[in-house]
Amino acid sequence: MCAMRLTGYADKFGVHPGDKIKFYVNCDGPAEYKAELVHMIHGDTNPRGPGFIEKPLSADVNGSYQGRKQIIHGGSYGFVEDKPQLNVESFTLQCWIWPTTPKTHPRYWKHGAQGLVTKWSDGKGYGLFINEEGQVELRINDQKVTTGAPIRDHAWHFVAASYDAETGEATLYHEPQIVYALDPVIEPVTAAIAAKPIAIPAPLAIAAYVDKVDDSALAKSSLPAGVWFTGKYNGKIDSPRLCKKALSRLEIEQMKGGAQPGLTERRNSGPTGALSEVIVAAWDFWDGIDTIVAKDNGPYRFDATLVNCPTRALTGYNWAGQNFDWKYAKKEYGAIHFHDDDVDDARWEFDMEWTVPEGFRSTSYAIKLTTSEGDEDYIPFWVVPKIGQEQSKIAVMIPTISYMAYANEHVACNAGGAELFVYRVPIMQHQNMFLAEHREYGGSIYDTHTDGSGICMSSRLRPILSIRPKYDHFLAQAPWQYPADLHLIYWLETMGYQYDIITDEDVTYDGVARLEGYNVVITGSHPEHNSGTQLDALHNYTQRGGRLMYMGADGWYWVHSYHPAYDDKGRGVITEMRRCESGIRTWRADPGEYYHQGTGELGGMWRFRGRQLYSVAGVGMTNEGFDISTYFSRTPDSLDPRVAWAFEGIEYDEKLGNFGLVGGGAAGLELDIVDTMLGSPPHTLAVATSAGRHTEAYLLVMEDFGFNQQGLDGTTHPRVRGDIAFHETPNGGGAFSFSSIAFCGSLPWNEGKNNISTLVGNVLNRFMADGPLPPPPADAIKHRGRADYESPALASKPS
Amino acid sequence: MIPIPKKGTPEREAMIKEHRECVDSMKGVAGFSVLKCETPGDTTVVTGGVHEHPDLKRVLLRMRGESPKGKLIVICTKVDAEWRIGRLSGIRGVPPEFVGDKIYTDEQEIQHDIFLMRLDELPETAGMPEHFDEGWKRKDDNWPVT
Repeated sequence: MCAMRLTGYADKFGVHPGDKIKFYVNCDGPAEYKAELVHMIHGDTNPRGPGFIEKPLSADVNGSYQGRKQIIHGGSYGFVEDKPQLNVESFTLQCWIWPTTPKTHPRYWKHGAQGLVTKWSDGKGYGLFINEEGQVELRINDQKVTTGAPIRDHAWHFVAASYDAETGEATLYHEPQIVYALDPVIEPVTAAIAAKPIAIPAPLAIAAYVDKVDDSALAKSSLPAGVWFTGKYNGKIDSPRLCKKALSRLEIEQMKGGAQPGLTERRNSGPTGALSEVIVAAWDFWDGIDTIVAKDNGPYRFDATLVNCPTRALTGYNWAGQNFDWKYAKKEYGAIHFHDDDVDDARWEFDMEWTVPEGFRSTSYAIKLTTSEGDEDYIPFWVVPKIGQEQSKIAVMIPTISYMAYANEHVACNAGGAELFVYRVPIMQHQNMFLAEHREYGGSIYDTHTDGSGICMSSRLRPILSIRPKYDHFLAQAPWQYPADLHLIYWLETMGYQYDIITDEDVTYDGVARLEGYNVVITGSHPEHNSGTQLDALHNYTQRGGRLMYMGADGWYWVHSYHPAYDDKGRGVITEMRRCESGIRTWRADPGEYYHQGTGELGGMWRFRGRQLYSVAGVGMTNEGFDISTYFSRTPDSLDPRVAWAFEGIEYDEKLGNFGLVGGGAAGLELDIVDTMLGSPPHTLAVATSAGRHTEAYLLVMEDFGFNQQGLDGTTHPRVRGDIAFHETPNGGGAFSFSSIAFCGSLPWNEGKNNISTLVGNVLNRFMADGPLPPPPADAIKHRGRADYESPALASKPS
Repeated sequence: MIPIPKKGTPEREAMIKEHRECVDSMKGVAGFSVLKCETPGDTTVVTGGVHEHPDLKRVLLRMRGESPKGKLIVICTKVDAEWRIGRLSGIRGVPPEFVGDKIYTDEQEIQHDIFLMRLDELPETAGMPEHFDEGWKRKDDNWPVT
């Protein structure tokens, strides 16, 4: 079919002049490839626009490199390095499980047995598994014991296995937490197994088992290096315990509580004196939820390293529905959900490293990778000035958190309903085709995992094939996010503006210090996903007189946080979000699972954290549709002397943006409006609108209505529109919002000679000037309510 | 629900004609909808299609809501130059497969052929009690996004 033989990523999105950036490349087949630094200017290949534009640059990183295959060992698991105490003879293994794919289709990408807790490899050792038939299975060396009962998916089960090396008796328990009327009884199964488990030097694995250990090149990117894990489990595991004795059923019940060393009178690790003498490990997944360590509170402290960031802060088998924040009921949050497609870091060997020369221009770059056989890939990155060494008066804030949220999206091929919102048959690019069979590259936060559960974390340490030039997204049938933001870069270049690049990461970590050196900050086309400190910084910036140009729509929508457990790998490595009770959601978090595992903060929409999206730039998203775009018309507000300067050179009746490279118009995809009741400042001017022109594919967002009803689409609903808006902020600051994701797609039209370009140029020229904005007319300073205005319907009626 | 119109009926022919005209008018637009551009390739004024033909709209919605198991999709094989029809596997990790050998040189044209294929593949009573199966009880309808 089609494949990408070249893929790669960098160790950072933004790099300072003088600093190093590393590039990691998979070259699967060709003996060598060429790497070349390019200035990435325009990534859209649409023949109605300027076409693809890159500018080759000389750099000491340019050259030919030897090709080598590198793979991602996807799928999350835990492991404990081999220890003598783990190589038991008699034993009892027990845990709670909530499996999501106990039995998979024979063509499923990882069809086969799944490991639960295993010290087993190649017919040696012991472990608890779910076998290919979806049944609980005990393995001792090459002997297998099963209950013969298929295990129900999406339900809690207690499973345990004991083995007495002296008698050779093995017992397997499978006890569903919920038993329905017509469920057969699952009796414990006993079997005689003569040979005790053979000790192996492989690690103990949780949610996987060891396939093999070798020193091959491809095994280097596993963790630990050299160990090939397989049998990656899909589902939750809670409270695994290992004892070095075949326990009675009563003792197994007592062991459910695990080690309990905290009591004053305790003289041992518990739960009873006798059991404390046989505990090998008692992992408490509720302990250290914000880490990537699975804590063993037993006597040996065999903490397990968690690989590929499984999901935590999830309800356990004992969740009572009384507490919804894991921080206040940790012991009810003892579940970890492992997925066979989790990925936190590709862990590849780096192929090249480049030290960015001091004073190197801040803009948009990529390492272009090619082979003589026609392979091609790009690794985009940005050069970001150090604070205090700004190169321009303009900063473009690249929405890297949003790029990560959409990274490697699978919605076109996973979701049967995707066509319902794009309103046509989706188009898959070759990147989508590659990802469709390489789930180990991980999905986006819009996807569900291969087991159907929502993806709530995304790593940037992997090839992200959606952050690529020449990539049309199925949502738009046009560029989206990274390549769409290159429309803006092209326009800035064509118009001759000098600008710096900063990223969401920079603003999140550095706060207003990252912004205050600029007269104006320009956003990307769709800065939807944001950290709290980033929003703080933007507010503080505009409060102090900074100017913000919000070039798109559906910004400031979702709560994001960077997972602190990855801080040692760099800034912003893993971003987390939860899709809670409202908002546009391609999946929905389960009850009790709304709080981030990394920071413990409440996830979901900023709106429901009391932080209205309208408060950042004066507008907020009310609708979306993905078929085609339309244009804006000026309103009387545009004649107000406070803002009339923005329309110099534009007639009042001109159609604003009835052209473009995204949907054919400037108003499209997702749209924001002014709403003073939801946080737009009362003095906001709505200077242009697209009201009444959208198709029925455009629908009101669900957080704006409480009752399902007809009339929510673009042909009928008054809130299905976009409003271009302006408002002043204190100290000579201001915010201009263009309120449409498609908007930037009109900038390159006719090589930038168009009325959208004129409007944006007028705004930028004014906003980038030194000093505060000119003051508004004196009569503009007046009291304004949020709701009070004179309705035209009532104005002419006598009282 | 309205039945999927049978082959040879005037209703079906009218739908096909309207769809065809919409597709032709959308050529050149960086996006697509089953609507008619007053000026081909220009979305300033759009009429007809799903906005004015409720039966066409409902048939398209039914098609779009079908399960991803075996669903037809467009695969771009050369950026901005060539496209082919594919069929989704409906199994995670198993990529789509091409259907037929036809190579399209216009990204909108392929929408019409898929519409015709789906008209042929969908039974008249699709979605009605005659087609009840276990999936109806197990959230297999795929109308939720994922």
